[in-house]
Amino acid sequence: MLRKIIIGLSLALVLFMCAPIQAAEFPTKEVQIIIPWSAGGATDLIFRALGATTGKYLGEAVVIVNRTGGAGAVGYTEAMQAKPDGYTLVSAITPLTILPHRVKTAYTYASFEPIINVVKDPGMFLVRSDAPWKSLEEFLGYAKKNPEMITVGNSGTGGGVHLIALAFEDAAGVTFNHIPFAGGGPSVTALLGGHINAVSVSPPEGIEHVKAGKLKIIALFSEERFEMFPDVQTVKEQGIDFVMGQWRGLVSSKGTPPDVVNILHDAFKKGMEDPVFQKNAKDMAINLHYLGPEAFGKLMAREHELFGKLIQKMKK
Amino acid sequence: MAGTGMFPLILGILLMFLSCIFLLKLLYQHKKTTTKRDSGGEVRRSPVQLILFFGTMVLATAFFDKLGYPLASFLLLAALLRTLGMKQWTLNILLSLMTAAASYFLFVHWLQIPLPKGFIGL
Amino acid sequence: MFESLQHLITGFTIAATVHNLLYCLIGCIVGTLIGVLPGLGPIAGIALLIPATFGLNPTSAIIMLAGIYYGAMYGGSTTSILLNVPGETASVITCIDGYQMAQKGRAGPALAIVAIGSFIAGTIGIFGLVFLAPPLAEAALAFGPPEYFSLMVFGFIVLSNVTGKSFLKSLMMAIVGLIIGAIGLDPVSGDARFTYGSISLLGGIEFVAVAIGVFGIGEVLVNVNQPSELLDQKVLRPRLRELYPSLQDLKKSVGPILRGAVSGFGIGLVPGPAPVIATYASYMIEKKVSKHPEEFGKGAIEGVAGPESANNSACQAAFIPLFVLGIPFGPVTAIFLGALLIHGVSPGPLMISQHPDLFWGVIASMYIGNFILLILNLPFVPLFANILRIPKKILLPLVILFCITGMYSVNNSVFDIWMMLLFGAMGFLMRKWAYEGAPLLLALVLGPKMEVAFRQSLMISHGDFGVFVNRPISMVFLLATAIFLIFPGVRFIFKQLKKGGI
Repeated sequence: MLRKIIIGLSLALVLFMCAPIQAAEFPTKEVQIIIPWSAGGATDLIFRALGATTGKYLGEAVVIVNRTGGAGAVGYTEAMQAKPDGYTLVSAITPLTILPHRVKTAYTYASFEPIINVVKDPGMFLVRSDAPWKSLEEFLGYAKKNPEMITVGNSGTGGGVHLIALAFEDAAGVTFNHIPFAGGGPSVTALLGGHINAVSVSPPEGIEHVKAGKLKIIALFSEERFEMFPDVQTVKEQGIDFVMGQWRGLVSSKGTPPDVVNILHDAFKKGMEDPVFQKNAKDMAINLHYLGPEAFGKLMAREHELFGKLIQKMKK
Repeated sequence: MAGTGMFPLILGILLMFLSCIFLLKLLYQHKKTTTKRDSGGEVRRSPVQLILFFGTMVLATAFFDKLGYPLASFLLLAALLRTLGMKQWTLNILLSLMTAAASYFLFVHWLQIPLPKGFIGL
Repeated sequence: MFESLQHLITGFTIAATVHNLLYCLIGCIVGTLIGVLPGLGPIAGIALLIPATFGLNPTSAIIMLAGIYYGAMYGGSTTSILLNVPGETASVITCIDGYQMAQKGRAGPALAIVAIGSFIAGTIGIFGLVFLAPPLAEAALAFGPPEYFSLMVFGFIVLSNVTGKSFLKSLMMAIVGLIIGAIGLDPVSGDARFTYGSISLLGGIEFVAVAIGVFGIGEVLVNVNQPSELLDQKVLRPRLRELYPSLQDLKKSVGPILRGAVSGFGIGLVPGPAPVIATYASYMIEKKVSKHPEEFGKGAIEGVAGPESANNSACQAAFIPLFVLGIPFGPVTAIFLGALLIHGVSPGPLMISQHPDLFWGVIASMYIGNFILLILNLPFVPLFANILRIPKKILLPLVILFCITGMYSVNNSVFDIWMMLLFGAMGFLMRKWAYEGAPLLLALVLGPKMEVAFRQSLMISHGDFGVFVNRPISMVFLLATAIFLIFPGVRFIFKQLKKGGI
């Protein structure tokens, strides 16, 4: 008899434990940002910094998860399949609109719900301070005479900076030897060690080393000069009409309810405006470029078109 | 030049090569030694327990998401304990319950690790 | 150099404030708890707790995070020894002799020697960090793709037969590991391999799933397959005297600890999964150096002391590239990078000069953290060892729950749990048929990186294979590999010639 009572009570306890908790307002637990690239790269650094400041405006922690592989395919595919409840976001950067043109992916930019765009940074090439080329002219001159000889590292085949490098080849009329690495961090390390001649990056990758004088910017693909390095000319100023960069924003899986999107958007916007983040951004020489969900969505659509055409042209 | 398929191809060939050497070695040894009984004293045990145990694990995994963590862990523990021979249900359920509860509170509430919620919503 | 010493002392005064000591303590405790859960390694632990550090100043925050890191390392070895479940990647080797020691009732000494060895290695590591950091960082830069490839080939061949008797079988396991590592997206070209259209396989098979599966679940299944009477037993009852290492144990461990500390530190500078490699290498070294190599694999304390010390100093060395170059070489240091950034500190060549307080304060706190962990863990040894007093019938299901929870927590993926079960079954068969798991895991870790390094090197050299021999460092490693492979063959031929008499 006693045994039966105990069993009964225990089962009741189990059921009691399973009673649903009252549904609370979003968010009730931490929000995850999937970063489809390796830790230490530009995207990773920027969103870690942003995640840190946004936490307090959101009321819950923002956690970064790296999911590398396949020029973003692994991370984006996972994010696309995540429940559209606003707890799983992914950092949407330019390669999101590139990769679907190159291989058959399960996703395109349209599989996601745009939330906010954070930065828009130019691409650039870095070389060591002791490199034989003192100016862009010398660099390109050498490249013309020695096609496919200058090794240019990138953060991964088919990634943003890789394509920027390819597009630059077109614009400058030269060819390089592109070496893929597992992210921005390793590619800069390889340059520092002298194993490659140059690296294609976008800030904040490599910025600390330029500040310290170990690396220098040999080509800058933006409209205006850097605030931090006012002596560096853009390639446009030097006669090559080439401006290309990467944007980085946040999206969540399609179907996320609009009010959740709004809460996320507002929190991240405040996170962007937070003085700590502003200072970090300045230190990293990144260019903040806020866009709301609609404008961001339109930006991605435009880029998707643009890269579609570019890839078609490049498919030799 | 060094394409995508190169590495797996080399690996496959190496594995085949090593397997052949291994087979040859086995045959060579087999010829040398007379067939002696496999180490005597190995108790003949039925694999039922093992299959049940593993099967329970498989089931638990299959329903992990739907049941949610607390319920799934409770059922898993209870079933595994029974498989290994614990026949007194009182002790079994009590133990499983306590452990599942403790584990739930430790991991889900305190460490805030995301674990499946299941249809009950925990 | 004296300047560094002075700075270090300043660092200690910063680190030893009551506040910072408290944060360090909290970090260590939380870290140990997290580390004990298989799969949830230091990475997740640190990431989970970064938000908790928001209100703190940068130095205190990093001190707490470093404490978590070490704590997690310690926790990881605990489950390896007690349950044969690798708490995280670098604990795999500890499973081999550590678990055997526990089976013989010597769990206490094993756990204790881990704490002691890590502490000593940590001390040595700190000195290395303080005095050798800048030149070592420069040396680390000299490693480019060809050097990585040759280093990894060397490591791979040498370390493949680290356990078990049959070199042939170990090599086969290694190749299987390489094949498993090839599943997923090709890192260089982006094409999918062996995925058969499955999206879940695109990212490859999670290392933790294989590790916990082969070692942890495999072991459980082996136990379940034993007659029921054995399951009512507990592992031998440890007596209080036997809970701590004997004088003899300590004497035997001195050499391994010192060797592990030094070798681990060197290996820790290489980017990638350095701590794992450091543990395998230390085990190898100890086996070769020992007068009783046949004891390895059956509970030799050297096989625990060496690798764990190497692990600790490798983790310390991993901070050098982060602090000196500002580039994280592995996932854990990358998280630290993030944490630093968040607190407004940009690591890089300028960091040490711009934020000396932070740098030296953190270094000092690493040492303090090591010390705290020693004090924390030694008294807990009896408590942990008593876990083995639970009858197997009850312990085994608990272990299973433990593994499943831990596995899920890594990627929130049920698919990973399936993989873990699959490899558990495989581990069971491997155990039955005497195939070693260690080479498979090593290959899984090294394989993809080896392949990438190989192809990168060829791309840089435009297809010229000479790139591997034209560069001195790379050449050295390849020669060493060749010698290692040919040596046994040469010796064999020599013996035959002598027998035949020329």
